[in-house]
Amino acid sequence: MTTTERPDLSWLDTVTMSELERDPYTTYERLRAEAPLAYVPVLGSYVASTTEVCREVATSPDFEAVITPAGGRTFGHPAIIGVNGDIHADLRSMVEPALQPAEVDRWIDDLVRPIARRYLEQFEDDGHAELVAQYCEPVSVRSLGDLLGLQDVGSDKLREWFAKLNRSFTNAAMDENGEFANPEGFAEGDAAKAEIRAIVDPLIDRWIVEPDDSAISHWLHDGMPPGQTRDREYIYPTIYVYLLGAMQEPGHGMASTLVGLFSRPEQLEEVVDDPALIPRAISEGLRWTSPIWSATARISTKPVTIAGVDLPAGTPVMLSYGSANHDTGQYEAPSTYDLHRPPLPHLAFGAGNHACAGIYFANHVMRIALEELFEAIPNLERDTREGVDFWGWGFRGPTSLHVTWEV
Amino acid sequence: MSFAVTAGGHRVECAPSQTLLDACLRAGVWMPNSCNQGTCGTCKLQVLSGEVDHGASPRDTLTDDERATGLALACQARPLADTEVRGHGTAGRTTHRLRDLTTTVRAVEDIARDTRRVLLGLAEPLAFEPGQYVELSVPGSGARRQYSLANTADEDKVLELHVRRVPGGLATDCWLFGGLDVGDRVEATGPLGDFHLPPAEDDDGGPMVLIGGGTGLAPLVGIARTALARHPTREVRLYHGVRGAADLYDLDRFAELAAAHPGLTFVPVLSDEPDPAYRGGFPTDAFLEDVASGRGWSGWLCGPPAMVEAGVKAFKRRRMSPRHIHREKFTPADAS
Repeated sequence: MTTTERPDLSWLDTVTMSELERDPYTTYERLRAEAPLAYVPVLGSYVASTTEVCREVATSPDFEAVITPAGGRTFGHPAIIGVNGDIHADLRSMVEPALQPAEVDRWIDDLVRPIARRYLEQFEDDGHAELVAQYCEPVSVRSLGDLLGLQDVGSDKLREWFAKLNRSFTNAAMDENGEFANPEGFAEGDAAKAEIRAIVDPLIDRWIVEPDDSAISHWLHDGMPPGQTRDREYIYPTIYVYLLGAMQEPGHGMASTLVGLFSRPEQLEEVVDDPALIPRAISEGLRWTSPIWSATARISTKPVTIAGVDLPAGTPVMLSYGSANHDTGQYEAPSTYDLHRPPLPHLAFGAGNHACAGIYFANHVMRIALEELFEAIPNLERDTREGVDFWGWGFRGPTSLHVTWEV
Repeated sequence: MSFAVTAGGHRVECAPSQTLLDACLRAGVWMPNSCNQGTCGTCKLQVLSGEVDHGASPRDTLTDDERATGLALACQARPLADTEVRGHGTAGRTTHRLRDLTTTVRAVEDIARDTRRVLLGLAEPLAFEPGQYVELSVPGSGARRQYSLANTADEDKVLELHVRRVPGGLATDCWLFGGLDVGDRVEATGPLGDFHLPPAEDDDGGPMVLIGGGTGLAPLVGIARTALARHPTREVRLYHGVRGAADLYDLDRFAELAAAHPGLTFVPVLSDEPDPAYRGGFPTDAFLEDVASGRGWSGWLCGPPAMVEAGVKAFKRRRMSPRHIHREKFTPADAS
């Protein structure tokens, strides 16, 4: 076969960012069917949308990591998600020790359980709550914030930072000249970063002379010759990676899992009755609505042919893991949450040498949070007077989740 | 060729070239997993027997020390023999050894409508947890039937069973309510089941509610007496749900126990045949009326599946922690 008839993809010309943020599934379902690797004009980039193509690109020796344009504009260089070679190896060696399973097992319960209990105590006797703002996000940011050494930064401030960085990172729309279509969309991310610097710089000043056991202190010192620390400009982009994704996504994952379980009341009941099912419920929640829906990318290092499309060297491809996890070639009725579907691996944490470094930590934060929630409020029900809206193309989860229970 | 991999009681076939995780997931046996490339450690497990090849397991994720203690990554490890594994972190629970028992009928007593107490003498004491059950062999049929023990752990030489007649039932109508006589030998196996109190050192003496339907009372008799022996003043609410007053039994026994333990309340509840001397309705509804909050309580349910389900819902409605809800369903085997 020498020629393949390319499908007519002119319908992609009218796809807008706000459509993708409201509901990416419709567009990506059509992409998976018609062109699993396609150039999407509004994103100014090729997009991989099926499990097979995402996995192929993520693990191919002919690709390396690259940060998306809006992501690079937000985080700067060198962010751990967008670098390769020695810098990537150094940054992974900097963040990974605290995230190793044997290390996480040592303190995760003592870290997260009291935090979860503290937030639950504030509303468990109210009979109603909005779980995204009152529980999922606070438990997520407080757990990681305390690990990083940001005990003195309030949970609401950490939530505000990830939300602003998120909207900046996913301000992805490009115009026909390859320029950002909405450059003003980066302003709030820039403001958040200025505030982060104002608060974290003095902490770094202190950690340089007085190291402690916080993660950022270790990032400064670990593996450095005596008397030297990593330059703060070198680690800030990775601090921003944490303050966005690592802060936000466990909250997204918990909330999506809960919404999924509310869609299957008999499965919610099973999970409440048997907390050993919580990890499986979370795994399906992350497949069903992948928190990192389309936020990472790779770039070809040589001319390659992927899914029948010839790409020259230096072509970025966005990895749409949220779409891959709805691939009908892998999952039956993928838009349905089902605790009992065949438990095949999913791509919510990515693949290849840039797979999420915090998988083990994040899974346990979510597990402990849901254990404590169901323990305290086993009669939880969704408040059906309120709807549930999901938002996001780069990062996705419910914007709110109103619940009630008998007290 | 393939090896047998046993995980959490499930046995799956695993080819030598296949990872343990792949074999389990393909067989529908869940185990935690995330990255599937050995880097996240989510699928770490303990190899109990057999042998695995760790393949490309990174030393960052699976240290040499961990390998030496028998840990493995399910997504990387391939079997070199038939292998049994257990999820990492799941503490191995010790259980009383299951034994074949030869027993002798000591007494058969009609205690309520279609209800008998059967006492079986043991040649050697049986170690068990109050609330566990034994399985009796129905003579001449090969059939086996399960009966909960009403005993406390120190009552280890005579087993007390409560039996309700099932019309036409092979074990009850034709045997235990038929020709059974004092002195008969009865073959049994036990102890079985996980319906029992936590170890004494983990029992904080918190309040308990126990709901038994019909002869579902039996294991609760052993559990309640054990709980009160550990903490004599603890709050214990014991509900006995039956159709009518004729189905009630051991009222004197509970009155005596309550006299010794002011924290114990015994509540008979009649569902079908009202009697001014007793509460009417379902025992799970009686609990909802009596207890405003189940927080900090443990709940114990034994009886027909519908009663157990209703009890779980009632307990959760009163916000009892699901971890502290224990259930034993009576499956109507003898009716078939």
